[in-house]
Amino acid sequence: MTIFSEIYGVYFRIAASVLSRESISSDEINDIIIKQGFNDSILFLPQKLMPRPDQSDWGLLKKQADKFIPVIKNKPVFIMTRLQKMWLKAIINDPRIRLFLNNDDIKILETKLFDVKPLYTNDNFSYTDRFTDGDDYENETYIKNFRTILFAMKEKRILNIQYTSGHGHRIGGHYVPFKIEYSPKNDKFRVYCYWLKRKAVKRSLINIARIDRVNATDRILTKSTSEKKFFEAERCKEPVLIRLTAERNAVERFMMEFASYEKHTERDLDTGICTVKMWYDGLDETEILIRLLSYGPVLEILGPPNFRRHAAERVFNQAKLSCISNISDN
Amino acid sequence: MAGYSELIKNFEKTRDYMRDFFIYGFKVRGEFAQKSARTYDDEKRRAESWLGNILRYDDSLRGRQISISTDSARISENPLYRAYYSKSFTDNDIKLHFYILDIFADGRTLSLKETVEAIDTRFDMYFEEQTVRNKLKEYVSEGLLKSEKRGKTAYFSLCENAEEYFAAIPRLSDAVKFFSESGPFGIIGNSILKMHGESNDKFFIKHNYIVHTLEDILLPDILQAMEEKRLVGFSSFSAKKPADNIGREFIAAPLCIFCSVQTGRRYLAAYVPSQRRFHSFRLDKLKKIKLLDKYDDYDKIYDAFSKNRRHCFGVSFGSRHEDGHTEPLVITFHIDENTEDYIINRLEREKRVGTLEKTADNTYTLTLDVFDPNEAMHWAKSFIGRIKSIEGGTEGLRKRFISDVTRMYKMYGGDVNDDIQ
Repeated sequence: MTIFSEIYGVYFRIAASVLSRESISSDEINDIIIKQGFNDSILFLPQKLMPRPDQSDWGLLKKQADKFIPVIKNKPVFIMTRLQKMWLKAIINDPRIRLFLNNDDIKILETKLFDVKPLYTNDNFSYTDRFTDGDDYENETYIKNFRTILFAMKEKRILNIQYTSGHGHRIGGHYVPFKIEYSPKNDKFRVYCYWLKRKAVKRSLINIARIDRVNATDRILTKSTSEKKFFEAERCKEPVLIRLTAERNAVERFMMEFASYEKHTERDLDTGICTVKMWYDGLDETEILIRLLSYGPVLEILGPPNFRRHAAERVFNQAKLSCISNISDN
Repeated sequence: MAGYSELIKNFEKTRDYMRDFFIYGFKVRGEFAQKSARTYDDEKRRAESWLGNILRYDDSLRGRQISISTDSARISENPLYRAYYSKSFTDNDIKLHFYILDIFADGRTLSLKETVEAIDTRFDMYFEEQTVRNKLKEYVSEGLLKSEKRGKTAYFSLCENAEEYFAAIPRLSDAVKFFSESGPFGIIGNSILKMHGESNDKFFIKHNYIVHTLEDILLPDILQAMEEKRLVGFSSFSAKKPADNIGREFIAAPLCIFCSVQTGRRYLAAYVPSQRRFHSFRLDKLKKIKLLDKYDDYDKIYDAFSKNRRHCFGVSFGSRHEDGHTEPLVITFHIDENTEDYIINRLEREKRVGTLEKTADNTYTLTLDVFDPNEAMHWAKSFIGRIKSIEGGTEGLRKRFISDVTRMYKMYGGDVNDDIQ
């Protein structure tokens, strides 16, 4: 029993989509392959799905006039496999499940899965460096606010939100949530919203735990919006430019730690020195800066100048505290 | 490229390549030395086929670099999941899959013999009893079919349709969307969504190490061993020597999976009886997991592990045996209490096993009673600019910190421009 099995595979899924039609043309088959398959699937799949004179196809379709019809009588069925049930049983025990399901839902699911073992338990995994001030997933107000936001996202409903900012300011207004973000490091949820301010639509990111009150209005956002533009505006103006030496396994450590960021890396084979351009969200600049500095002298921030200046300020402050100054080249 | 297929039989080889494309975007063809150039070409083409638009190509003097370039915080679906959906199969596998499920979709309960006959009648296709028996057995094990004995004969019928879960619990869909991108085995949640014709359109995951999914393939055996208190055998490869093709063999009692949400690494925390030591093994460097015998001392060792982990800053148990001494490390920070509350909050939430106390005006001291003080230093250096003193640990650790600050001071121009504030 493994997820790496053909029963979950793309080819089986495409075949099921084709077989779920009463009749289908070769163009429609090709469309399904292009839409659901890998890039090269169109080179391999049509001849296996459509009947061939030499019977080298999979025998799943019959030719009828200029179309194809499935050889099966029923539409393909989708069964929840044992592995999928075990995964569902495991997520029921995650405290975050209550953000989505109420007690009745959980009871129904538990009944359906009564004879299934969970795939894992919470004790099997330990998050060694997770921050300890994560959101409280058992707080009823938090759960209610989360669900109100989640529900509003489905239909672009305008919400009236009152929250307290990180600086302690009370802020309120009309917002349309469109994506919820979770950070496993912070163990917190935040919500990306369009903030309706008079006639303008602005960007806003709110920590769900900081929300004091949220109510759904009876209005829906009809204006067209672009998530792509929203996130492009969040992105740094210039990527940070970094030089990494081969000391202390720095390249490997850096590449792992910053794997989640978009990067472009070049390596000098003679020296082993890597030069990396890395893009990040403008809001995360301080977090990126301190994480880069934690690499010590094996990583140098080369630019942009302002970013490098912030790094230098911290290093010089540290040099003062450590009584290091006027160092000679020796 | 005769014989090329975008489907694969063996996940392990692909796992290595996908990881290298993703983590080390700077490697060129010649640097994938562990396999032949032909293997590289096939793996590269598969990655192109699976991942298409997120592959990036850069030409350098050394050759063409291929990398998986994406901002993981802004994707709705982990693109590496696609590797799991590429398992190869035979023509009979796919025929029997749809034929058998179609026969049972009528709501019938059939014996093996009746199933063979029904396939023959409905599809005019004769399969050997043994072939059908194997497939029925496999599908009972996968949970697609259930079987019951009537006398000496086994009868088969279909398990519950997945749609019934979503019909009974409409909100399940959002839960699956979230957990399919966050937490262990998200790929399984993703497979449920695909089956249901849905995809995650609501959640982003920040600090998202999508490459972990490639290690999930190892976890079921490890988790089973933990549950059944058994030993596992495996090969562990060196992170520092990429050309290490042999690895070292270990037999260990698995205890926990340590996940670092900051460094992107996951570890198998385990006890190695032959060395009488706890170890943390990088999951991405493990291969060939084998389930072995029950380990009689499992409970005793697990208790010792639970006590010991209170002295781990990260994942290191130092160089000790089951019990031993810790190396206290005391770091004193300068914090302006009037304006820098957020630094005190940061220390509180990030100090892990440490104890933080105010020791003077604008001065806070963190005491870490840990097995391996070196492990705390990477984190401590994220407070550069505020560290008044470091005491305890080892002399080497303290000297290295001063040496590091000195080198950084020079690196950022401190020796030529001392007046920057």
